[in-house]
Amino acid sequence: MSNKWKIILVFLFLIASIILPLLYTRIITLTEGLPEKIFTYRFHRAIYTVLAGVVLAASGCILQATLRNPLVDHYVLGTGSGALFAVYTTLLLLEHVTLWVISLAAAIGGLSALAITVLIAESISGGDVAYVLSGIGVTSLFSGLSVLLLYYVASKYGYASLMLTGTFIHSRPENLPYILLAVILVLVGYVLLAKRLNVIMLGDDHAAQLGVNPNLTRLSASIIAGVSASIIVSQFGVIGFLGLVTPHIARFILKTSDNRLVVPLAMALGSTLLFTTDTLSRSIMTKIIGEVPAGAVISAIGAPFFLILLIRRFRGVIS
Amino acid sequence: MISARNVTVTYRRNNIVALRDVNIEVPSETVTCILGPNASGKTTLLKTIAQLLNYSGVVEINGRDAKSIIRELRRILSYSSTIEEQDLLGVTVLDVLVYSRYPVSRGFFTSEDDIKRVYEIAEKLGLKGLLSRRLSELSAGELQRVVLAAALVKDPRILLLDEPDSHLDVYSKIWLSNFLREISSQVTIVLSTHDPIFASITCDYFIVLSRGEVVFTGSRGELLKNTGILESVYNVSFTSISLGELHILLPLNQSIHRDKLVKLGEQSHRDISYNSSNTRGDH
Repeated sequence: MSNKWKIILVFLFLIASIILPLLYTRIITLTEGLPEKIFTYRFHRAIYTVLAGVVLAASGCILQATLRNPLVDHYVLGTGSGALFAVYTTLLLLEHVTLWVISLAAAIGGLSALAITVLIAESISGGDVAYVLSGIGVTSLFSGLSVLLLYYVASKYGYASLMLTGTFIHSRPENLPYILLAVILVLVGYVLLAKRLNVIMLGDDHAAQLGVNPNLTRLSASIIAGVSASIIVSQFGVIGFLGLVTPHIARFILKTSDNRLVVPLAMALGSTLLFTTDTLSRSIMTKIIGEVPAGAVISAIGAPFFLILLIRRFRGVIS
Repeated sequence: MISARNVTVTYRRNNIVALRDVNIEVPSETVTCILGPNASGKTTLLKTIAQLLNYSGVVEINGRDAKSIIRELRRILSYSSTIEEQDLLGVTVLDVLVYSRYPVSRGFFTSEDDIKRVYEIAEKLGLKGLLSRRLSELSAGELQRVVLAAALVKDPRILLLDEPDSHLDVYSKIWLSNFLREISSQVTIVLSTHDPIFASITCDYFIVLSRGEVVFTGSRGELLKNTGILESVYNVSFTSISLGELHILLPLNQSIHRDKLVKLGEQSHRDISYNSSNTRGDH
């Protein structure tokens, strides 16, 4: 297939993956004759799952390319748990908190955790597995602290406990500006960085002689990926492995590592996967065991995928 | 023409002076070779010319200060050493070549021009059948050819190659030597190598480094007459053999007796000549 057709199909899929879920939600509420209030709730929930999928997948692509590391996403690198810890701390310390303050705190917490992971990983060996190990350590630290804080926070904010695994149950219209901000961030990141990230994947010296500053690119890419994922965490909690899995599926389908195509396809896959998971969890699982957070379902699918990648990575080394 | 005046490079991390007061002039449209043992500053010199390191002194490209034409330099100069290979990111040979057109490629997506040039270079270097392969699926020799193709794909006028012959078998080395000589009429090439035989059959001009200092600059003929320079730098005996138009620098193990070598040459070639300014290891 020619490159032009690949570009057209990928962007058509991306547009469809955003519009169709919203259309589906409208049709379902109309056919079931549900009241407008329920439609508003479900419509917002659909928008958030779709856009959160877009943001987390893009963030995963950017982090994997910029760190030349196929084993990471915002969750593995500790950004998710760092952001969540910052959210809980803010909820605990401040009497009246707005969503702006929570988002800002999450961004600071997420970036700090990312910085700690990178510093530790670079001091070990800088290899891809060093990042995973360092990320697991940082994730464990902030997850543990978050659970400790949760005992106090949950008494004030009931939904706080749901954020540990990531859920869209408490979707409200007020979340929209923050989600849109995260989407704008990754879109700007995509346009400015996709070509540069391609070059960065080939090594720092190679990138520098082509006119791409590796340190500046890595810094801006990490900030964009870290802040956008942290904003999602601040609104809906930690949704792990989505950003790890979707870039790999996109690369497998496209048979290329080109971020100009991989990022939009991963976005489309992310939104489709998260919307489907959340809808199934809301509609089917509720009837059987009650509503399971979408983040938990995604983790259950994503974690084995991560383990398979890890095994392939080590088999590659051994052979 | 590339020239360096009073160039000194100090690595801040360990305060090591990697290049000390280097003054060189590299002639245009030739193949120039930087020789020197490990840690003599070969890579540092190449990276300095490519403006990838901080240095004191002046590097001039065609009479202009390289620091002032950095954007233009990224289009006309290629520095090539290795390409990072991360299997699970799925980077293919085609990807490498397309991405390496970054400074000359217009627009956000890959253009028809980019694709056309990539295929031409791939054809020239015998990589057409490998374009869809992942880097991890290539042999070391194939990967080395991809690295060379990546350097050529933006049509540079200056090509800096850091050990382009490493990991290559004999056939590939001779192919590379012929290829570089063929393109040297359009491109100024500066390369570093550890192989004196490859250097002597490929390069016209030589720069010899020792502990960050230039100890020799001159043509191949001058170096072949003055192999004592290499002796002092490498601490190994060298001799030069001329077979017709072919002039070869040969490192000698002390157990190889020069007389035997000359006799062997005489048997196979009437016009063999032998030249060495050094006699250490000779009896």
